[in-house]
Formats: sequence, structure tokens, C-alpha cells
Amino acid sequence: MRKVLALYVPAATVVGYIFLFAPLIVLVVYAFNAGRSTVVWEGFSLAWFTEALRDRSLRAGLQVSVIVAIASAALATVIGASAALAVVKRPFAGKSLFSTLVIAPLVLPEIVLAVGLLVATVWTGIPLGYGTLIAGHVLVSIPFSFLIVRAAASGLDPRLDEAAADLGANGSQAFLRVTLPLLAPAILSAFLLCAVISFDNFVISTFVSGVGSTPLPIQIYAMLKTGLTPKINALGAMLIAVNVIVILVVMGRYLKTIRKQS
Amino acid sequence: MKNWRSLLTSVSLIAFASGASAAELNIYAWSGEVPQEIVDDFAKETGITVTFDTYDSNETMMAKLSAGASGYDLIEPSQYTVQVLAKQGLLQELDHAKIPNLGNLGAPFKEVSYDPGQKWSVPYIWGTTGFAYNEDCVKTPPTSWKVLWDPQYEGRIYMLDNMLAAYIAGLQVNGFKAGTTTPAEIEKATQSLIEQKKVLGGYNSTNFGDLVASGEACIVQGWNGNIAQVMATNPKVKYVVPDEGGSMWIDGFAIPKSAKNVEEAYRFIDYIMRPEVAAKAANLSKSATVIDKAKALLPKEVVENTAIYPPEDKLMKADFILDVGDATKLYQDGWTKVKTAQ
Amino acid sequence: MTAARRGNLMTLALLAPSLLSAVLLLVIPILIVIAFSFAEQDTYGGARFGFTLTSYRELFQTIYLPIFTNSLQLAAVSTIVCLLVGYPIAYFIALRAGRYAGLLLALLLIPFWIDFIVRMSAWMVLLGRGGTINSALLGLGLIEQPIRMIGTYPAVLVGMLYAFLPTTVLPIHAALNGLDKRLLEAADDLGATPLQSFWRVTFPLSLPGVMAAILFVFVPAMGVYAIPVLLGGGKSIILGNLIVQLFLDFRNIPLGAAVSVVLLAISSVIIVCYMRVLRSVEEART
Repeated sequence: MRKVLALYVPAATVVGYIFLFAPLIVLVVYAFNAGRSTVVWEGFSLAWFTEALRDRSLRAGLQVSVIVAIASAALATVIGASAALAVVKRPFAGKSLFSTLVIAPLVLPEIVLAVGLLVATVWTGIPLGYGTLIAGHVLVSIPFSFLIVRAAASGLDPRLDEAAADLGANGSQAFLRVTLPLLAPAILSAFLLCAVISFDNFVISTFVSGVGSTPLPIQIYAMLKTGLTPKINALGAMLIAVNVIVILVVMGRYLKTIRKQS
Repeated sequence: MKNWRSLLTSVSLIAFASGASAAELNIYAWSGEVPQEIVDDFAKETGITVTFDTYDSNETMMAKLSAGASGYDLIEPSQYTVQVLAKQGLLQELDHAKIPNLGNLGAPFKEVSYDPGQKWSVPYIWGTTGFAYNEDCVKTPPTSWKVLWDPQYEGRIYMLDNMLAAYIAGLQVNGFKAGTTTPAEIEKATQSLIEQKKVLGGYNSTNFGDLVASGEACIVQGWNGNIAQVMATNPKVKYVVPDEGGSMWIDGFAIPKSAKNVEEAYRFIDYIMRPEVAAKAANLSKSATVIDKAKALLPKEVVENTAIYPPEDKLMKADFILDVGDATKLYQDGWTKVKTAQ
Repeated sequence: MTAARRGNLMTLALLAPSLLSAVLLLVIPILIVIAFSFAEQDTYGGARFGFTLTSYRELFQTIYLPIFTNSLQLAAVSTIVCLLVGYPIAYFIALRAGRYAGLLLALLLIPFWIDFIVRMSAWMVLLGRGGTINSALLGLGLIEQPIRMIGTYPAVLVGMLYAFLPTTVLPIHAALNGLDKRLLEAADDLGATPLQSFWRVTFPLSLPGVMAAILFVFVPAMGVYAIPVLLGGGKSIILGNLIVQLFLDFRNIPLGAAVSVVLLAISSVIIVCYMRVLRSVEEART
């Protein structure tokens, strides 16, 4: 019995990671398939990558997704970070209620949020499009930027502010020269995480995308109708490559900052 | 409340207003029915900037159209949807003088029951709702909806995840007409669809073509256009308009009342009715054109493909679904019962 | 301007963006949803404001009840599966992985950098009749006929596990990571078996993380809709599908709003319970 349990932890970990990566490996391998099938191997080819790059609707979807991801991540990071700074650094009444309100979109079922936004546009007559899409993505991203920056900010030594004040810095100087640089890595990771969340969003986008603002996930979903071809695999493989590069760059910078600090 | 509303609207307009620019056209069409190439050709010829979005059910399109100001200038509703949208007052009356190519319409499409006098819409393509099977799995060619109830294929039958489409099979298998408004007939069809659930693999209106082509499914209910696209690369897939009739549909173009680029919308309608353009569109989307002169330009394998142009006698028997009015509620309740049945 | 006033203004400036976005994007939309749930429906998909309980009365008819039980059941089973797989992973990363912990955490998140639909389509390929798993099993001679996996309940659970595994691991890992390792050593010294020290020391201390994981999986799981459609064949309908169907297919805004309000209410009750329990755990500890 004890042996079984001792084995359970590493075994579950190994199985868990295989589970996470098996689909990705299969996905990437078949992106190079010469045939039309995503299951039967018919030889090596790069044709599907050119196909995916040439596909107008995928390109349009990618463009929408990138614009929306950058815009919504920037907004969500500013909003979440300022909320986090207020909670960590400032005394005010109703702090826990405020935190709950900010984190709420994280725990509420996304579909309810999506419905709320759609119904709000019906009621106000606001046109569906980039605006509603970005607003929706900002809503679901804020909790993440808030939590990341809050964790980093509460780890800062409060004496740093005092030291800055002793050296004659006023509030905004202390913020710009001391707090902000120290929080920069956290703010950057918050931005990236928010961008990923936006890029991946499906539920909110289904409800609030409008004229010319169909993001990539919705385009891919529509593509399923004409059949799964390795084109989707090729697209997935390219997204993985871009993401891995971004992660490596960010991690590299992050490690450098840590090394400098220590 | 009113003040709030206008405040919110103005805030959003300030925040999200996009700069005015040259001629634009926002098209919202069925996925897979208006080829991207046609849109590109049109944009190149006219210099109009076209935004092209797609949907995969009439209902989704209607939901987006009634939510806020949709911003679309041209939509592609199916026949019963034209009726619903017209009754809701969401469409503009068409000015036929602006569509010189209207005369190119084939005889059967000059006068359609759902839109007398082509007041609200112009037909674009037509097709049928039937089923497709994979020869690897189904050895004797089926001809009746009954095969979708056959326990032999348990777990490998898929129905369209679409209320009206599912009821075509549910009603016709009982000998009723699709699109009926008789409560007892709808109720009987509901029972049949519930019974069918035991043998179903599922409901799918997204990748049904892929399911039957890969052999995941033996038989899928489907629209002919999507199936014909799959058949082009997989000869084992066959399409059937069932003996009970199946149904015929017409998708056409209409201009929403809220459209801002009306002139451009007319230009597109007129453009796509040119015989050579209509032929190219039909060939690429694997669907049947409503323009007679275009049919003459199509390659033989398209005209002779029975999945695209079913035999005349089959078409005579096909039902044509119109807006069911108040019976909609009966269908919706029935469909919910079907979907929740264990 | 006094320093105190300036401080207050600063606080306000920091709070304003999040308050504004919460009110505009969360509070007002939810109030509108609640208002619409009492509105009247007309045949052609319009809704007139008013006060009628028609939608709620319709909702509590017997045909809708299975949808609620299906959803709660799927959410519960998914949460259990996620915990069974996620807890040991979190435990391994926090207590056994040593210097590879950071790498393992980063790897955990990589699949989530790829589009959700692409991930699900990868599973559709793996689980299909002619898919990788069936081909492998056939090749090994373990089965004679391909097994049907798409369109079954286990396939839905696979999709749910795939979607929610990181959300399970991260909070549990955070709780275990903060654990004072000397406690475990002390338990060892006192002669506790590994199992005893796990049940008496490690597990109770990881409970806040486990509860957070339950919250982050159970509540969103009640509202999913693409997974059951793509992997489960769309045969059994759950709350997420129902809401999509009512809003986008039936254009019945009042009834769709009513379902959303009920889902919101269930979620809120769970969240409040979570906060109560968390507080009592924290109080018990101090």
C-alpha cells in the first residue's frame, strides 16, 4: 500500500506531463504531413505552412487577435496594476470588497460575463466590433494582472519608499524611480499573461465580435466545418514556435534582472 | 434610464469611433458560400474596402443583427429567415433599378413564395438538406431517413445541431411535411428524435463533413454544399436526398435597415449576379447557382454532380421550409426536450 | 494642498480605472441581465421590459432540470479528476522536483499558449476512430476493433482535465510551496510514517490551495460549452450550451438571461461558502 502511494506521485506527474504534451507533439508532427490527413502520415512537406500563411481568413483573424491582445493586455495591465498598488500601498475603506470586485471575473462563469456584455450592447445600441471585443477581453484579464502585480508589490520592502523620501524624493519621484523599476518584471509578465488570455479567448469573442473583428479562434472554429486539414496543425505549430521564443526572451531578461539584483 | 443609455452610447462612441474613410462594404455571409476569391475580385475591380465575416446558422446572424447596430451592409439569409427579418422590420426594401443583372435569375427563382416580388431579398444559391454516408461503413446505399435510426450504426450517426434541420428528418420519417405547424405532428417528430438519441453519436453542425469523411461517423445529416466540398477530396463519401423528400433551401442577399453603405451593397449584389462571377462562385463553393447563364459556364463535373444538382424528380418532392410563426415555440420546446433527454 | 489630501487623490486615481471598468463591464451588464430576465419575450426575438416571472417559471419546468443536474455533475466529476491528477503534480513540483521546479511550472503552462480550438482539435485527432490512440492500440494487437471515444463522457472529461489542469496545480503548488519543511522533518523525527505525516501535516496545510483549486475548476466548469460539443458529440446539453442556444439560436433573451442569473446565483453561493470556509481555516490555524 505504502509503495503504491510512493509511486503514485511521480507516476501521476509523468502521466500528467505526457497527457499535456502528447496532443501538441502529434499536432506539430502532422503539420509536416504531405497528405491532407491529420492522422495518416504520407511523407514530409512544408506545404501546409505556406497554405496557412496564404489563407486570407486566418491572416485576418490573426491580425484581429494580435491587435485585440495588445490593446486589451495594455489596458488590463494598467488597470490591474493601479488597483494592485492601491491595495498594497494605500489605506482605504472597503479594501476586501474592492479586491473581491476586481477578482470576480476570474471566478464567475465566463459565459455569464459574455451574456452580460452582449445584453448590454443590445440595450445601449453600442455597435459590436473591436471596442466590445477589447472591452470583453479587458474584463477577463484584469484579475490576472491585479494578482500578479499585487503579489510582487506586497513583496517590496516598504522601507524603500521611506529611504526615497529621506533622500528628498516626492511621492511621484519615488514611484517612478523606485517602485516602478522594481515592479517592471511583474508588470511585463502581467502584460504577457493578459495577452495570452486574450489571444486564447473563445467564449467572450463568440458573443461580442462584430464587423471585421472576428478573432483567430473563431476563424479556426469556422474552419472545422470544411474539415480538419494539417493547415490547422501548421498554424498551431507556428503559434507554439512564436510562444516559445517569447517565453525564452522574457525568461532570459527575467533571469538577467534577478542576477543583477542578487 | 434613458440618460444612462445615451451617456453610455456616447462614451463608447468617443472611445471606439473609427475614422471615416473611402467606400466600404461589410458583408456577413454563410461560411463556405461566398468564396474569398470573389470578394477579393470585387474589391479589386471597384476599389471598395470589403470586410467579410461569416456565420454558421441563420439564428446566429439574426442574434448579431438584432444586438446593437450590427454594422453589416449585406447579409445572406435563408428563405425563412428573410420572412422573419422582414417581419421584424430589420430589412430594407430593395430598389430593383439598382440591380440591372436581376434579369439573369433563372425562371424558378424569379418568383419565390417567401418573398413575393423580391421585395426584400435576391436569391444567390440553392441546395438541399439530406444526409451523407461513408461507403467503407455503409455497404448498401441507403435512400431513406430511416437509416439515421438504424441501430446497426449505433454511435456512428450524427444529426445536424440545428433545430429546423433536425426536424426535417424527424417530421419526414413520420410521413409529415417539414415545416409543419400542426402541434400533434411536431410532438410526434419530437418523440422520434428522442428515440433516435439512443443510436446517435451526437449532434454536429460544425465538422460533420469531416466526421463522415474520416469514418468517425457512418452517416451524417448535412447540407449538400459542405458535403460536396468534402466529396471533392474523398470519393468514399456519398450524398443522398432522401426518398421522403428532404428539403430545399435558398440563400440570398438582403440589405439590413441599419446598413450604412447601401450603394456598395447593391454593387456587390449586381456583381455576383454576372454570369461569369456567379459561375466562379458556384464552382468554388460547390453549390448550385440561381443564374441560368452561369450554369452553362460550369464544368461538367459540377453540373453532373448529384450532390450539387439533384435529379429533377427528387427536387419535386423536397419540402421548402417557411417561417413557422407562432409554432416556433413548439419547435423550440420540443428541441429542448430532445437535447435534454437521456 | 495638504499631504493627506494629495494622498487621497492619489488613492482615488489608482482606484478609478478598476472601479470604472468593474462598473461598466461587470456591474451594469449584470444588472441589465437581471432586468432582462424579468422582461417579456415576443415571437420574433424582441424583448419588452416589464416585470414578469414567466422566464423563471418556464425555467423551473421539468424539462430544464436535467440540464442543471448534468452541469453540476459534470463540474463535480471534472473537479475530482483534476484534483486526482493535479494534486500529485503540485506535490511533486513543490516538494520533490528541487531545482527543476521552475522548469516544470513553465512547462505546465506552455500548452495554454496555443489556441483553445487548436488544442481541442488535437484531441479530436488523438481520440478519433482512425486516430493516434486507436492506431497504436490496433498496432499493438490490444484491440481488434477501433474504440469509439469521440462522443463519449470520458472524452469530455479528458477535455475538461486538459482545460483545467494548470488551474488545479497552481494554487495547490502555491500552498505546498509555502509549507515549512521543518514541520515534515519534525513529523519524521517523531516517528510518523510518510503516510501519517502526509495526512496529519502536509494535506491539512495544503487545504487552502485545494479549496482555491476547487473554486477555480468547479465554477468555470459549470459554464463550459465548446468541450462537450467538440469531444462529447453535443449529445447531453449543459448550462453553457443552454445559454448559447437560448441567446444565439432561439433569440429568447429573457429566458437566456434567467438561466444566466441562476448560474450566477449558484456561483455566488459557492464563492461565499469558499470565503467562509477559508476564513475558518485561517482562524483555526492562528
